[in-house]
Amino acid sequence: MIVLDIFTFSGRLHPLIVHLPIGFILLATLFNVLSYLQKYRYLRQAVPLILFIGFMAAVLACVFGYVLSLSGDYDADTLSHHKFSGITLAIICGLLYFSSTSMFKEYLRVGDKLFSALLLGLVVLMSYSGHQGASLTHGNDYLTFRTLMQQEREKPATVEQAMLFEDVVQPILQKKCVQCHRDGKQKGELSLESLTALKKGGKSGQAVVSGKPDMSELFKRITLDEGHKDFMPADGKPPLTKNEVKLITWWIKEGKTEGGKTISEIKNTASLKPMVALYLGIGGATEPEDDAGEVAQMINPDLPLVVDTTHITSLRKKGVRVRMMLNKPVMLDITLPPKSGIKMADVKPEMLRLAKNIVWLNFSDNELTDQQLDFLPALTNLEKLRLDKNPVTDQLSDYLVSLKHIEAVNLNETKITDATTLKLKKNPSIQRVYSWKTKVDEVKVN
Amino acid sequence: MVDHHHHEEEFRLNDPEFNRLNQRLDRRNFLTKTSMGIGALALGALFGNKLMGNAPRPAVSNATGDMEQEILRALPHFAPKAKRVVYLFMSGGPSQLETFDYKPALVNLMGQNLPDSVRKGQRLTGMSANQSALPMVPSYYKFNQHGQNQTWISELLPYTAKVVDDLCIVKSMHSEAINHDPAITFFQTGNQLPGRPSIGSWLSYGLGSDNENLPTFIVLVSKNGQKDQPLYARLWGNGFLPSKHQGVQFGSGKDPVLFLNNPDGYDGADRKEMLEYLSKLNQIQNSTYGDPEVDARIAQYEMAYRMQTSVPEVMSVADEPEEVFELYGPDSKDPGTYAANCLLARKLLEKDVKFVQLYHQGWDQHGSLPSGIAAQCKATDQATAALITDLKRRGLLEDTLVIWGGEFGRTVYSQGKLTANDYGRDHHPRCFTMWMAGAGVKPGISFGETDDFSYNIVKDPVHVHDFQATLLHLMGIDHERLTYKFQGRRFRLTDVEGKIVKGILT
Repeated sequence: MIVLDIFTFSGRLHPLIVHLPIGFILLATLFNVLSYLQKYRYLRQAVPLILFIGFMAAVLACVFGYVLSLSGDYDADTLSHHKFSGITLAIICGLLYFSSTSMFKEYLRVGDKLFSALLLGLVVLMSYSGHQGASLTHGNDYLTFRTLMQQEREKPATVEQAMLFEDVVQPILQKKCVQCHRDGKQKGELSLESLTALKKGGKSGQAVVSGKPDMSELFKRITLDEGHKDFMPADGKPPLTKNEVKLITWWIKEGKTEGGKTISEIKNTASLKPMVALYLGIGGATEPEDDAGEVAQMINPDLPLVVDTTHITSLRKKGVRVRMMLNKPVMLDITLPPKSGIKMADVKPEMLRLAKNIVWLNFSDNELTDQQLDFLPALTNLEKLRLDKNPVTDQLSDYLVSLKHIEAVNLNETKITDATTLKLKKNPSIQRVYSWKTKVDEVKVN
Repeated sequence: MVDHHHHEEEFRLNDPEFNRLNQRLDRRNFLTKTSMGIGALALGALFGNKLMGNAPRPAVSNATGDMEQEILRALPHFAPKAKRVVYLFMSGGPSQLETFDYKPALVNLMGQNLPDSVRKGQRLTGMSANQSALPMVPSYYKFNQHGQNQTWISELLPYTAKVVDDLCIVKSMHSEAINHDPAITFFQTGNQLPGRPSIGSWLSYGLGSDNENLPTFIVLVSKNGQKDQPLYARLWGNGFLPSKHQGVQFGSGKDPVLFLNNPDGYDGADRKEMLEYLSKLNQIQNSTYGDPEVDARIAQYEMAYRMQTSVPEVMSVADEPEEVFELYGPDSKDPGTYAANCLLARKLLEKDVKFVQLYHQGWDQHGSLPSGIAAQCKATDQATAALITDLKRRGLLEDTLVIWGGEFGRTVYSQGKLTANDYGRDHHPRCFTMWMAGAGVKPGISFGETDDFSYNIVKDPVHVHDFQATLLHLMGIDHERLTYKFQGRRFRLTDVEGKIVKGILT
């Protein structure tokens, strides 16, 4: 086993070694061409030696390349092209060197012009072989004329604008499947690189059958038990997430495996939209992407899925406690330590930047007045607010009326009166107002 | 000014006596860093994944550390409902029959033997297994209906009855252990054998601290509970987790936290200087050995220093108005009683201490149950209800979870002689009652049912691991994903079991 592994190891050095002959052959050609100029005439003498070194390096590269090819996993056609062009290259390189030795020259003289032409030919052959080699490593489409023409699809701004196949399904396949199932390297004789290839299917049958996930090999393989031998992606490569599986299932079943349609053009997409939103990272209804256990949670769909952490770091440096309540979407619980002495004006810019992520907010006991809290209406996703033990008055309630998600407001030991409770009743989302030790008549609140 | 400036120099082991040690350290350093570090890395790369196991993973020693970090970075797994927990542990096994599980049918069965069809061959403890008869006995105390849902509550708990609309009573708890220590250990750590981390330690490990001046996990043991069954500090121990996650017990005497205060004649500035110097020494040690326990030790010294100010502040009840002491009952002015601890718990929760655990012993009524349980209830009922009321009016019940319960229940049959006004009850793990209140649990409900004998569960059983899974869930943790690798295995609080009790979640 160890011997085999040393083979694998040295085989993987091939891409490194292979650049040595490339360099030497290019150098030999360059010197040869330059030597036609009077000024560089002397360079001609160096060409045979450089060619010899290039030949040795080419032989070494061939040996390592052969070892690498034994590990399999490569498209047979491209591989054989690369192999034979590479070996030919090494042989020609050797012959050219040989032709310039004095021993050979006694039998046959190769003309200078012919020699140069052969050298240039060698460079062409080398370019061809190199291209084949690169196609093996990076895929046939890595460097093609199509790449020059192709335009990167822009990320759609809304779920409605997104194209179901082009923006969602294809990127999933591209990310998780195409490494093995592509035009050049068709494992199981299946390519998932284009919709046409996908519909052609592979060795085990049809990859997708419109409207029938159960008959679609693609669906079957990605939904098997992970330990099953037919499970895809194979060999422990990262599996599709639950959401990705759901998206592909929807596309086969409801989307009829079609391409070229935006979500707004497809019917009955109520269940699809949140999945697409989650996949594309556009706001909107979401659910935990991983297997989040047994209990599904109701989470406010307006919460942003991301946050700029520099603002969090900055707040923490200023002494504000920022607790991550959830990573996706990002929910924050922000606490100003009691009697912190922190000035609201100092932290307001960050608070406003993080406004949509703040779900719980605790400013208890910090001598805050109504005016200092004028930014509260920007915290549109706020659920629980604690302002107890601050000299706030009835004016504060104006800031809370528009908040759609606010559930509980703690105004204990503040200067509020019945006017606040009356006003807060206008906001139907507020369920609990705490007004202990205030002028609010407790009986009336209950 | 005495000469004490010499220790402001940088500390070095440059004394000739240390030369040999220095050499040894250097050699060890060299070997560790080269042979294990670079060598292992190169080997790993050379032999790929075949020799080093299937999954490609770095062969350096902090591989587990990285994985732990990854686990912690993913937390919380869910949006938490609760930010803090106060767990009122009723040690000894309070009888469900005299408190919450009302069984009126037993009145007519008084003195009759427990039917085999009910017992179903279940094991009994050595204390009552040899009894010639197992006479059933109803509650000596009356039950009345309270609250919006007309919940039956014993007359022993008049104050708790008043807050019943805030409680979520689980009548179908069951455990695997039948004796005190394994049962408490099971509740606290998820395993009957000692050695695993306590719930509070898991929470500290998973979620960290919200107040850097106080420990994340604080334990208060009542002095007025009858100490019939012992409690051990390992019940709030960190097990194999880093030791900064262990529970810190606060006492009631002159020194609430032992060994925290400066010795006489030694002031805070001296202390600070000593600690800074000690921390340098520890850092030298750490740079040589890279042991995370050294970091933990440094952090603990610093925490202890901050606690020298924060603890006296939080322990002082001088600012509390008279009305608060009235609420918690007369005991609350006597430090160390259950009532005083409840009041203290509220103060700790106000400071965002994540997990406060109270223990009140003395619920183990094998004999003379009617008088024993009455005394226990009297010592705890008012303060328990006061804690709920106080947290609620302050708005803290929004994000605080309150838990009340023991390690198991008690048998329907009498242990020892049954007379008209005296009996005892033995340990019963097959069903017992707990309650929760506050963040994330439905208020004013009863969950689960037992049969007419309060012997077997007939509806919605809740296992100890289920309770633990639910507690972690409310704090935002998936109990299956919070793990710690120790001795080659990943451990969880709920071991390999536990189902979230969805029925009690809001």
